[in-house]
Amino acid sequence: MITGRLSLTTPEGVRLLLTPAGPVPRAWAWALDLLVWLGFIGVCAMTLGWSKAGKGIYLVLLFVSYWGYPIVCEVYFGGSTLGKRAAGIMVVRVDGLPVGWRESCLRNLMLVADFLPFLYTTGLLCMLSDVQFRRLGDIVAGTQVVYRDVLTVKPLLNVDAIDDEFGRIESQPLPYPLSPVQQRSLIDLVERESSLPPERVLELATIAQPLTGQTGEKSLRRVRAYVAGLIQ
Amino acid sequence: MKQKQFELEHQALWSQIDTILMLQKNQLSASDKSVLPFPQLYRRLCQSLALALQRGYSPTLTDYLQKQVADCHRQLYGAAVARPLTLRHWMLVVFPRLVREEWRLLMLAMLAFWGVGLGVGLLVWFEPQWAYAFFEPPKLESVEQMYRSPTMKVGRGTEGDLMMFGHYIWNNVSINFRTFAGGVVGGIPALLSTAFNGLHFGVIAAWLSKDPVTREAFWSFVVTHSSFEVTGLLLSAVSGMRLGWSLISPGRLSRRHALYAASLRMFPMIVGATLLTVIAAFFEAFWSADPNVPVSVKYSIAAVCWSSIALFFAFAGRRA
Repeated sequence: MITGRLSLTTPEGVRLLLTPAGPVPRAWAWALDLLVWLGFIGVCAMTLGWSKAGKGIYLVLLFVSYWGYPIVCEVYFGGSTLGKRAAGIMVVRVDGLPVGWRESCLRNLMLVADFLPFLYTTGLLCMLSDVQFRRLGDIVAGTQVVYRDVLTVKPLLNVDAIDDEFGRIESQPLPYPLSPVQQRSLIDLVERESSLPPERVLELATIAQPLTGQTGEKSLRRVRAYVAGLIQ
Repeated sequence: MKQKQFELEHQALWSQIDTILMLQKNQLSASDKSVLPFPQLYRRLCQSLALALQRGYSPTLTDYLQKQVADCHRQLYGAAVARPLTLRHWMLVVFPRLVREEWRLLMLAMLAFWGVGLGVGLLVWFEPQWAYAFFEPPKLESVEQMYRSPTMKVGRGTEGDLMMFGHYIWNNVSINFRTFAGGVVGGIPALLSTAFNGLHFGVIAAWLSKDPVTREAFWSFVVTHSSFEVTGLLLSAVSGMRLGWSLISPGRLSRRHALYAASLRMFPMIVGATLLTVIAAFFEAFWSADPNVPVSVKYSIAAVCWSSIALFFAFAGRRA
């Protein structure tokens, strides 16, 4: 199955699935971070004023925030600057673990090289030629940017809820055995029913005709009955 | 086993793991009792994920377990071992050793800086009109004015010192970082930037030395902090060139891996170069321009700085 996910096998024998983030969400994250930084610098400039001492402190703050902000955010706040958090992405090492000081410093220093010759051209070309969408800095530091898993639905919620307008569905045994993958796609259809347009659900249920021997609404009811039988 | 039965059986395990993950996210020192069986719980979680996948349970369930496994994996294997003395060890042992290991590139960088600087400096010393080949006349004039002006005699005051400190930090350390990052393009930009800095220094030094009024002001100002500043610049160029060289000649690794390995190895050097430049900024801002310090004291402090730099890189970290 083509899913666009990278899989890493852990010592426990399970696979970690990572979804690399492409140039577009990263560009948004970058733009947002730039705004945050400009805002911070603006506030600093206004509070410190233009006395000589104020200017000195301002320049030190400029330095620390410019180079330090992404590094501190990535090391201490789960691999995300504010912009990356908003874009739903995070920095991890190539082995899927959180980044440390060394990786974070290197990848952020390399931003200079990625910027060349203008506006991150090198970085973009590098990302487009890499399977994991890594820019030069990511390759140098051994990191990658992936999507954060957002998942709020807990199981055990959908199981009892298989009923329709006619009340609870009586479970039915399958007419012939199905492979786990096939069972899984039936369950998936029933679980996603509420988030799909009704016509689309009927259309999908019709595809199951070889199994149910029915079409449309009738086929859907039968699929529900099979799924109820599968999971309860 | 039906999915519902499976979920009921494992519900306790999953919620226990949820609690542990929440605890560790919110407070770093979670109570030991909940942390202790974490590896065992994690292994049972992995087993339940494998079963759920193999039996074709619903995607909601497997996605949920997959996310839990990923979070636990990061929690368990991502926990960094506390190494409180790493930085000290890096700076006192690893850094000087690394510099000695990279003596060839260091020679090249020194040749680019001091060689170009000396060559151009001698040219300007004997044929002063050549200075105009490298700088616009107004620029030379303004540099000369700077060392002639009374501020060299009365100082900038504490506020002015602070301003210049900020300027040196922002400017010089950023130049270091740029030199390092630029090195990745085959090392040539790092070498060019070093040579350019050498040229700049050579022309200005020779030009100001021609005039006895500015000679003393210039050399007494520059001599102390340049020990740290030039070393910092050269070392960041060396680490940049090493990155570039790993692309040109990756050896038995793929280019990506060679780049990765070189950057991991050179990291202590770039940290050290940054520290040196920060030290230089302190000297340049608060010491070099201080008019109350007699020139002889400045020269002797400079001698101490230069020789300690040389001794440090020659001998530090040889035992240990």
